[in-house]
Amino acid sequence: MFEGIRNSAGSVGRAISAEGDSPIGTIIQATDIHKIYDTGRVKVHALRGVSLDVERGEMVAIMGASGCGKTTLLNVLSGIDDISQGEVMIDGASISAMSDRQRTRYRAEKMGFVFQAFNLLPVLSAVENVELPLLVAKTKPSIARQQALEALALVSLAGEAHKRPMEMSGGQQQRVTIARALVNNPAIVWADEPTGNLDSETSAEVMDLLCRLNKEKLQTFVVVTHDIAVGRRANRILRMADGCIVEELFPA
Amino acid sequence: MQKLFGVPITQLMVILVVLFIVVAVITGIIALRNRVMFKMAVRNVPRRRAQTALIVLGLMLATLLFSASLATGDTLSRSIRTQAVRDLGQVDVTVEAADRDPSGALAYFDENYFEKIRLALSNDSEVEGVALAIQESAPVVATATRLSEPQVNILGIAEEQNSGFDRLMDKGGSVLSLGSLRSNQIYISSELSNKLEARPGDTVQVFLGPTPVALEIAGVYEKGGNPAGKLSLVVPLKKLQEFDGKVGRINSVVITNSGGWIEGASHTDAVLSALGPLLEGTGLEAKPVKQDALDLADQVGSTFSTVFLVFAQFSIAAGGLLIFLIFVMLAAERKRELGIARAIGGQRGDVIRMFTFEGAIYALLSAAVGSVLGVLIGWGMTRIMAVAFGQMDLKLVFAFSWRSIIIAYVLGMVLTFTVVLISSWQVSRLNITRAIRDIPEPRIQRRGLKGLIVAILLPLLGLMLTMTGLQSEQLAVFMLGTSLIIIGVPLLVRRFGVPDRAAFTVAGLGLVVWWLLPVGALDPFLPEMQQGIEMFFLVGIMIVLGAVWMVIYNSDLLLAASVATLGRMRGLSPVLKTAVSYPMQNRFRTGVTLAMFSLVVFTLITMAFIVSSIGNLFNDTQRLSGGFHIRATTSYANPIPDMGNALDSSTVSANAFEAVASFSAAGVEVKQEGTNQEPVDFAIQGVDRGYTDNVTYKFALTAPGYDSPQEIWNALQNQPGTAVVSSMLVPTKRNFNVGGPMPPFRLEGFWMEDETLPEVYISATDPRTGNEQRLRVIGVVDPMAFYTQGIITSQETVNRLLGQPTPSQTYMFRLKEGQDAKTIAKALEANFLEHGFQAEVMADEIRTNAGTSIMINNLLQGFMGLGLVVGIAALGVIAARSVVERRQQIGVLRALGFQKEMVQLSFLLESSFIALLGIAIGIGLGFGLSYNLVEMMSDSLEGVTYHVPWLNILLVAGIAYVASLLTTYLPARQAANVYPAEALRYE
Repeated sequence: MFEGIRNSAGSVGRAISAEGDSPIGTIIQATDIHKIYDTGRVKVHALRGVSLDVERGEMVAIMGASGCGKTTLLNVLSGIDDISQGEVMIDGASISAMSDRQRTRYRAEKMGFVFQAFNLLPVLSAVENVELPLLVAKTKPSIARQQALEALALVSLAGEAHKRPMEMSGGQQQRVTIARALVNNPAIVWADEPTGNLDSETSAEVMDLLCRLNKEKLQTFVVVTHDIAVGRRANRILRMADGCIVEELFPA
Repeated sequence: MQKLFGVPITQLMVILVVLFIVVAVITGIIALRNRVMFKMAVRNVPRRRAQTALIVLGLMLATLLFSASLATGDTLSRSIRTQAVRDLGQVDVTVEAADRDPSGALAYFDENYFEKIRLALSNDSEVEGVALAIQESAPVVATATRLSEPQVNILGIAEEQNSGFDRLMDKGGSVLSLGSLRSNQIYISSELSNKLEARPGDTVQVFLGPTPVALEIAGVYEKGGNPAGKLSLVVPLKKLQEFDGKVGRINSVVITNSGGWIEGASHTDAVLSALGPLLEGTGLEAKPVKQDALDLADQVGSTFSTVFLVFAQFSIAAGGLLIFLIFVMLAAERKRELGIARAIGGQRGDVIRMFTFEGAIYALLSAAVGSVLGVLIGWGMTRIMAVAFGQMDLKLVFAFSWRSIIIAYVLGMVLTFTVVLISSWQVSRLNITRAIRDIPEPRIQRRGLKGLIVAILLPLLGLMLTMTGLQSEQLAVFMLGTSLIIIGVPLLVRRFGVPDRAAFTVAGLGLVVWWLLPVGALDPFLPEMQQGIEMFFLVGIMIVLGAVWMVIYNSDLLLAASVATLGRMRGLSPVLKTAVSYPMQNRFRTGVTLAMFSLVVFTLITMAFIVSSIGNLFNDTQRLSGGFHIRATTSYANPIPDMGNALDSSTVSANAFEAVASFSAAGVEVKQEGTNQEPVDFAIQGVDRGYTDNVTYKFALTAPGYDSPQEIWNALQNQPGTAVVSSMLVPTKRNFNVGGPMPPFRLEGFWMEDETLPEVYISATDPRTGNEQRLRVIGVVDPMAFYTQGIITSQETVNRLLGQPTPSQTYMFRLKEGQDAKTIAKALEANFLEHGFQAEVMADEIRTNAGTSIMINNLLQGFMGLGLVVGIAALGVIAARSVVERRQQIGVLRALGFQKEMVQLSFLLESSFIALLGIAIGIGLGFGLSYNLVEMMSDSLEGVTYHVPWLNILLVAGIAYVASLLTTYLPARQAANVYPAEALRYE
């Protein structure tokens, strides 16, 4: 099923594309990151010294049981959350040293997000949702609209551009989310349980789409998932337990 | 304050408290039988303390308005009572001659009557004391300082008979005894001492007749001297009888009841009953002076409370909407819990009960806070009013009664509880699955049988009311009926597939157009209808409803327009798009908040328009004064027999005057002929040719055959038996009076709005002689005629009625160009001092009066402005709720690259969008209605012009907008500080 276990814990080395493409360089580099949630009465050690490298254009799946720290890892890598200790370098820049403002701008320019609950803004239409990151990055509204429509066409939703999220199926909503994540041509796409709310058939369609885009656009995908079928589509699987990466697997 | 809206206040309190107890007992029993639901409700209250505080603040606003209105009334009532009681002291009842002298002075009678009265009441436990007295008014001059007072009350009392009454006391609290006075000595009040700058040992000259009497001041009293009042002097009775040439005669017997100053008044009826048989046939009558003064005080107090409550009704309505909104939002927050409660077997009734219990707890708290804070607001308002009333020599003393607080509390509680019940019922209608999964409710409205019944019944009810309004000629009922038809139609047609947008837009437009039709547009089709102050409330509610429908059902167009214009700014585009999308998505919330904002802004703008359009009239002193400059009165004890001669022999040049007019007055009994009115005591004024030839007052209504105002004034002088009346005596179809005092005599059978005056006759009878005079009313004077009151006829007619010439006591002077009214008025006072001549510059009087009116109007506007707090609080509630509701979405936005400031700006823009829309609707509707109101007023009040109060509009809009931004600032900041990682986890 898997090519083999490369590492059992701690630092995870350079990954090789499943298709054998040559790596272009490391885009994500995390070193000994810790995350402690301090609620006052209780301290929860969510990440315990995680280190990893992700290559440009790679699709990495992070898997593990509920509460093992997958989403926390994704959040700290993407700069949505702070880290308690350690360092995260994205494309050579230390994200942990950035201010909130810099990190936010960095996200707007270099990252895309796909969430389990789709997290589309219910009051905006599909195309308005998709163009939002472009507008945030101060793209001219007419150009933003054009690019958003193109992104929707890319996910085969050109005809649904003016529908509100509530008027769309779960699969369609997730494809809108993917279009939104990709519209500003980000270097990295973070996906948190992208198929968690979808049936198996729609899940497969969404993963086909992600893999196609990964291949065509050479963007880096970090996917948090429970679903082994999703994990199998990645170049590499990092299995987590108790806040640590305990396994690195390469699907066949 | 004894009455509110005509209902005795104690009765009102008892009804409300009983209602409160019944509701509390029922709620308590239900709580005992549903302990789990009650427990859940109780535990929900302290769950989010900040939110609970916000809810309590939101719910209390209506109660606060009740409480502040009542506290204002209490203050007015108490202040006037205090003043009245201070002047009357222990005197509760006076016995006087039933008919006054022709001059208006108290008539004298034999002092033996006093003994009879004293004996008759000697064993009456309700009477504390009886005394004989003389009350006069005369000019007084201080010999040393030459300062004078034209009208000083002079009280003659016999100390030996004065037991039970107030003793004269000096500043140090020592009693001043009349028995120790030498024959030419008197005591004077401290106010008089200050005015004359006269001290003990100084001499004053008292002009009881043409020749003054020189008297020495033996002491100055701080208290006592009642019922003579502040500016008074006290003389031993025997001395005053000698000075006056009235030995053995008095003009009043004063009676004090047992009990305190105010409590004593409660025995008044019993004392009057005891005196009744004794005074029969004597020509004397007993007057309940204390009770009358207290009643008047209470009437003024309740009028003020009523006025404030009437003007606060929009704010109270907005407060009701806020309560509803708060509960609907609370339900939205609890949706999932409620869904779970229903899923595990809870009935809809359980949900209603749980919410009702929780609401009842909030209502109990908020009504308590509101009623207490309202008293504070009332205090603030009376501080402002104190300045206004200070000009009228009334000292305001802040007061509130526990009855008022209880009424405000229970009224607030009942209102809140009712709205809570309705909203609990509304929120219980949830879909369990959607609630648990937190899926928004679908747009499609429920179109069940109940809805159909409402859609059919509403227009039918409207039709019924329309017909009733037409039959009873009541415009409010007619307009309400037609409006219900307009409201009902969209509800009906949408059931047949007509889109909501079309149905509600047309209905909204219909309501606005229907209520803002130009004045007189419906006249050809309708009978003559009557209308009152309730029209103001109805028109406000209806046009705001119409406008809000139009806006809300076309929100997408607004959204597109705002994004198309402002969205061009690149940085602003994403923020703007999210900011305006949310309010337009939540139509209900936005609609309710818009309605609140618009209602309050609309009333403030309309009020500002009215004040500004009428305000110009007060600047036209020529019109208000009838073309005269100085008004003067003389003492009845020493009138001026011939003003022309008096002026010739004075130091004031006759060349200063262009015209001199004189008035005499007579107290008679009047009734309108051809009606079943009972004759009432009323004063009629007789004017001389100097007045009728020179007065410039015009007429609002004239009898046929008179082509100009001057023709009427000439007729009044040349045709005995003719009269004109002031507009206060004439009924109006547009009666916007909200409970102010009405004159005891009013005409009937015609309206102020009629084209011409029909034949109207007044029958006037002199009660002393029994002479009767028929007066034909030939004109109704312009309502702006500041110096006309009641019935005006010629002096000749008055003399004929009284059977003897009546001396003039009032004069008006028109000055030639270039003469200074103030200087001439002072010179006249100095020349005619012995006549008690008191001259006022009419322009100053008008200005003072206008100033007081303007200040009261401003206060009313400020009070109505409290309603803005309701709208602003609604925005705050929505914003705070939105932060919680949209936490996850805020997280997404932050993940997508929204900076903190962008999130904050988005929230602020969202509130701005609603606030600005509400302000715009309010201003627009205010412009529309004010135009009609001004048109309507100008029908009966010449000179009213449409004047846009730009400054007020800017002020209202500015304050409303800035305050709404400030309120939203905190929630917006909170939203900006939402931590994206946590927010994304949030469900």
